[in-house]
Amino acid sequence: MMSQKHASYRADKRRFAVLIGAPSLIWQLVFFLLPLLFLVMMTFWSVRNFRLQPDFTLANWTMILNAGFFRSAYLYTFSISMITAAIAAVAAFPVAYLISFRLSPAAQRMLMGLLVIPFFTSLPVRIYSMQIFFSPSGLINSALIGVGLSPITVLNTPVGALVGYLTLTMPLVILLQIFALNGVDRQLVEAAHNLRCGKFRTVISIIIPSARVGLVISFAMAFVFAFGDYISPQFLGGSNPPTLSILMADQVKSGNHWPRASVVAMTMIFTLMAMMGLLLKFAYGRSGR
Amino acid sequence: MTKRTGSIGDTLTLLSLRGWAFIVFAFIFAPIVSMAAFSFNADRFPSLPWAGFSLTWYEQVFADPMIRRGLVNSLLVALAVAPLSTAIGFLAAYVDHRFQFVGKRLYMALASLPPTVPVVIMGVAMLTFQGRIGLSGTLFGIIAAHVVISAPFAMVLIRMRLAELGPDIEAAAWNLGAGPWATLREVVIPFCAPAILASIFITAAVSFDEFMIAWFISGQNETLPVRVLALLQGQVSPRINAIGTLVFTTSMLLVILAQALAFRSKAGRR
Amino acid sequence: MSVTILELDGLSKSFDKQSAVSDVSISVQKGEFIALMGPSGCGKTTTLRMIAGLDAPTEGQIRIWGRDVSQDAPWRRDTPLVWQSYALFPFMSVRRNVEFGLKQRGMIAKDRTVKADEWLERMGIAAFAERMPHQLSGGQRQRVALARALATEPELLLLDEPLSALDPHLKVSMQTELVRLHRELGITFVCVTHSHSEAFAMADRVVIMDKGTVQQIGAPQQIHRRADNRFVAEFLGASNILDVKVLYADASGVAADSAIGRLSTQAPALKPVQVGEALSLVVAMDRVEIARSLSGAVNQVPGRIAMMEVMGASITAIVETEGGVTLRSQLSSRDIESNPLAVGDTVVASWDPASAYFVAH
Repeated sequence: MMSQKHASYRADKRRFAVLIGAPSLIWQLVFFLLPLLFLVMMTFWSVRNFRLQPDFTLANWTMILNAGFFRSAYLYTFSISMITAAIAAVAAFPVAYLISFRLSPAAQRMLMGLLVIPFFTSLPVRIYSMQIFFSPSGLINSALIGVGLSPITVLNTPVGALVGYLTLTMPLVILLQIFALNGVDRQLVEAAHNLRCGKFRTVISIIIPSARVGLVISFAMAFVFAFGDYISPQFLGGSNPPTLSILMADQVKSGNHWPRASVVAMTMIFTLMAMMGLLLKFAYGRSGR
Repeated sequence: MTKRTGSIGDTLTLLSLRGWAFIVFAFIFAPIVSMAAFSFNADRFPSLPWAGFSLTWYEQVFADPMIRRGLVNSLLVALAVAPLSTAIGFLAAYVDHRFQFVGKRLYMALASLPPTVPVVIMGVAMLTFQGRIGLSGTLFGIIAAHVVISAPFAMVLIRMRLAELGPDIEAAAWNLGAGPWATLREVVIPFCAPAILASIFITAAVSFDEFMIAWFISGQNETLPVRVLALLQGQVSPRINAIGTLVFTTSMLLVILAQALAFRSKAGRR
Repeated sequence: MSVTILELDGLSKSFDKQSAVSDVSISVQKGEFIALMGPSGCGKTTTLRMIAGLDAPTEGQIRIWGRDVSQDAPWRRDTPLVWQSYALFPFMSVRRNVEFGLKQRGMIAKDRTVKADEWLERMGIAAFAERMPHQLSGGQRQRVALARALATEPELLLLDEPLSALDPHLKVSMQTELVRLHRELGITFVCVTHSHSEAFAMADRVVIMDKGTVQQIGAPQQIHRRADNRFVAEFLGASNILDVKVLYADASGVAADSAIGRLSTQAPALKPVQVGEALSLVVAMDRVEIARSLSGAVNQVPGRIAMMEVMGASITAIVETEGGVTLRSQLSSRDIESNPLAVGDTVVASWDPASAYFVAH
């Protein structure tokens, strides 16, 4: 009688925990993890007569990894994502510094609120607006001609893609940098000023080292977003040259070769994981010195 | 090195910082402002000078049966995604708040990582998987995928609120005779109500705006952002601006509502 | 005629192999006011939480009315707790807070409101029924917490540091109020506190704990008169504690050597002491008398007044002895009027051998 009672209270507690924990676990297992695992499996399948066949072949891997179009797309995607991250991080820093260190809390709150808006504005539509600005007869060129300069070609070039990547990543990078800078010990900065350390030198030798982890994370996030983006290289870069995301979409949408798209997806996942690992190691590792 | 020159230098620095910040903000917001402005422009081709105010493009948008279907689909999906992902996110947040167990890190990783996977990969993964189990092309398929990426947002929002629930409050409820379910119903959920409402709005906005995964898996059941993507591949059309403005207004309304709720709960705690 | 309501029997609790409570056995009578007292980390709160079922004992039993409840869920016990943090539900009005326990017992809404209002009236906070907890002062919250715990009319009320979060001037009045409430309701109170003034002022019996074990259980007067061990004597802080070595012991008394000379006590030791044994001699401060000169009696220690500490109506004279030991003598202001003392005076401190006793080191 007594021991039954113990068992029932413990069982009740366990049943409660299991019922509470199950929905998230089941949903993410079935609709998130399983699709990703299926994607891994798919890389070993084959396509015969335009039909998927369960198989265990390395053909997709060797085909993609040896293909010139894949290698150049990989190189291009990687380098333009790095360039995007670098430009975004450098361009965002003065803005983040201004907002974090030089503006009133009210202005800071308002500007941070503004920076959230782009996250809830359709990216395709923003990219479409950029198309209009940069089209051969668009607003930018009209303005350039208006002041007597020669028009520029941005659309359907890597520079166009870059404009898109920056549209996508800038708000995020600025916000992350503000969070990083807000975490810097203000007393440290005061102390530096008291020691007659100039504002600029304080930024270089106190603020940037103190906020390094957050700043590196902002760079990493810019890289991750640019690396996976499809809209910018497609609609502003004119898929000229194509990126890995475009390669994937093409393989699926027109080529109907899902196993090859899966291989490309795997290379992207590996790259992102390696980059995140390296960057975080860089961010945290050097603080030990 | 007198103070005077220092302050002049500082004024110049501050001025150039503000100038640069203005340029950056202009870059970020120009597309949003131009989207809204040209959606009301009478001229088909977006160029200055302004050709006059017109609602033509909105009329065309609402007259287009494909856009209308896209809008209905988007609304249906968001309507299902918001409560589902909020419920799932709430439960995951409560698990994190309440239980210690072996493998908790893995459990929480699974509950929070989906938004970090590039959407293009998620799209392909969902397409291949859902194609196999016959879900691809159905609204439920889109809902399932959108819940995957929005539940983590709900989880984070509600987890922050739970962190403010003192360690004694739930124990006080048990102590007064409320079992775990009654405590959840009568104490935890009412306490989290502002965060729950906020996350309903935020997850609705996330789903309403999502284009990439839906583009891969929606098939015949296009959502509104997928329709926009299709329009984008065609020729220049101010209808895109009109749709964008509509979506923007809807999303911002949801976000502002969520913010107001979060703010009200903060004020109420004082 | 006393009836046991609550028994703790060999209760132990460890967290991650760290022992928090070990082998605690206490028997509480119906209607008693018991205080669990000790320094922080002594296991008093863990013991209270185990009674409420919020922590599960590693070993031992908790019996309420003779029935083992140690494996019962907290919501199946009738052991409401008044929390140190009050733990009021922040999104419920005062009235709904008080109704909560009644609701869990299935009482219908109308009856709940009537009952809750009765308790709010009784605790003098009926005017705040519609307020939210954050709109109340600390003292008002405390009353809501009490009303909420008492609304279900339990036979056993647990209180965790009920006065510690209050302003000093509220502490005393709330202390009186708790005693009055206890007398009127006639139920059992188990109260955790770190303050011996609170415990001694309110409780019928005090349980002193240290490092997870019970050091002494007894009525305040009894503990005050005779501490069971050096920890209790030190914790209460009202005694002089001297290191001594037993010189000889027989039925008439014990003589011991110390840094301030030979001391004796007539009190028959509970346990026989051994010659040569090192012990602590405890002399309550209010038993130490101050004279101007030696009179030839036992236990006379010459010294010099180093300081006079005034604490309300009592004054503590701190006497530095020739042996380098400091003795404290607690005097009333009347004593001082009849025998004025000043810092620097040469005096003789003494005490009645019957009022001193030995405890183990």
